[in-house]
Amino acid sequence: MQALIERIGRSVGGVVGTLFQAGRDAVDLCLKTIIPFMAFVTFVIGLILETGVGDAIANGIKGFSSSLGGLMIVCVICAIPVLSPLLGPGAVIAQIVGVLIGTEIGRGNIDVSMALPALFAINPQVGCDFVPVGLALGEAEPETVTIGVPAVLTSRMITGPISVVVGYLFALGL
Amino acid sequence: MDALVNGAEAFIQVFRTAADVFVGFTTGIIPIVVVFLTAVNALVKFIGEERVEGFAKWASQEGAIYMPVRYTLLPFVAVFMLTNPVCYTFGTFLPEKHKPAFYDSAVSFVHPITGIFPHANGGELFVWLGIAAGVEIVAPDMVTALAVRYLLAGLVVILIRGIVTDIIYNIMAARKAGVE
Repeated sequence: MQALIERIGRSVGGVVGTLFQAGRDAVDLCLKTIIPFMAFVTFVIGLILETGVGDAIANGIKGFSSSLGGLMIVCVICAIPVLSPLLGPGAVIAQIVGVLIGTEIGRGNIDVSMALPALFAINPQVGCDFVPVGLALGEAEPETVTIGVPAVLTSRMITGPISVVVGYLFALGL
Repeated sequence: MDALVNGAEAFIQVFRTAADVFVGFTTGIIPIVVVFLTAVNALVKFIGEERVEGFAKWASQEGAIYMPVRYTLLPFVAVFMLTNPVCYTFGTFLPEKHKPAFYDSAVSFVHPITGIFPHANGGELFVWLGIAAGVEIVAPDMVTALAVRYLLAGLVVILIRGIVTDIIYNIMAARKAGVE
């Protein structure tokens, strides 16, 4: 009897402990990463909405973001092998452009149907800065890394525009 | 004097608007992300590393038949369970020549997944949230549908990326072997 109680107590304790630790990790991530970035993003949004900057950006972005062809041009530019590793780190560029386009969608300057293709168009450079590290995490040989880096960067030139088209097709009928 | 006051007013208005948006994000996004993160963190711990690794070994086999598994299901499970950037360690289980393609596939999924599973890449939520915030204003009932489509389109895109990168890697590797 006592052994049973002990076992129940221990397993309940284990479950509660795991859940508590999970909650601690969650709040930690929120405080240390999500909220700081949110503060930065909301400041950018405030600037866009309240100053003339927004209209200037809107005019610049609108031409590219309101048509499939325009988005594909943006995508090809972001995927150029020399640029893509520079645009990649922390997805900061993608996040800022995402906020810019999102703000313009909110103001009605860009149609909602462009949201999904835009999500891919602004992001063909994802992880291009991180290829050697990512491959090292997968315990790849140095030889694989030497060929793998240009392979991934070149591949993005092709798959970038394709991803925009896929996004466009998936947005049909939304 | 009036100009000064107007200037100050315009200046402070930027921060008022920013603060309003911040409050909106804080009440709209943070609570659900925290609760969700907690649930998934716990789930991952309960499932345990061994079972996930067993699956990874099965999914990383060679051969064209395993391609859809290798470049859709495996990256999905890797990013969902291990999150960015630990997910790339799944490359360990793959044959050497498929590692670049797997990396390309997995890294391309760390944003499409955030629409529905924000825990997977908590530090880079605003690729999705930035655009979603705009859609929320114009068509609030479309946001979830958009998130689902972003996820599905992401799966198609990572499959294409995996296959294309595989081909390009093979060509480059063969060319290099030819030179030497």
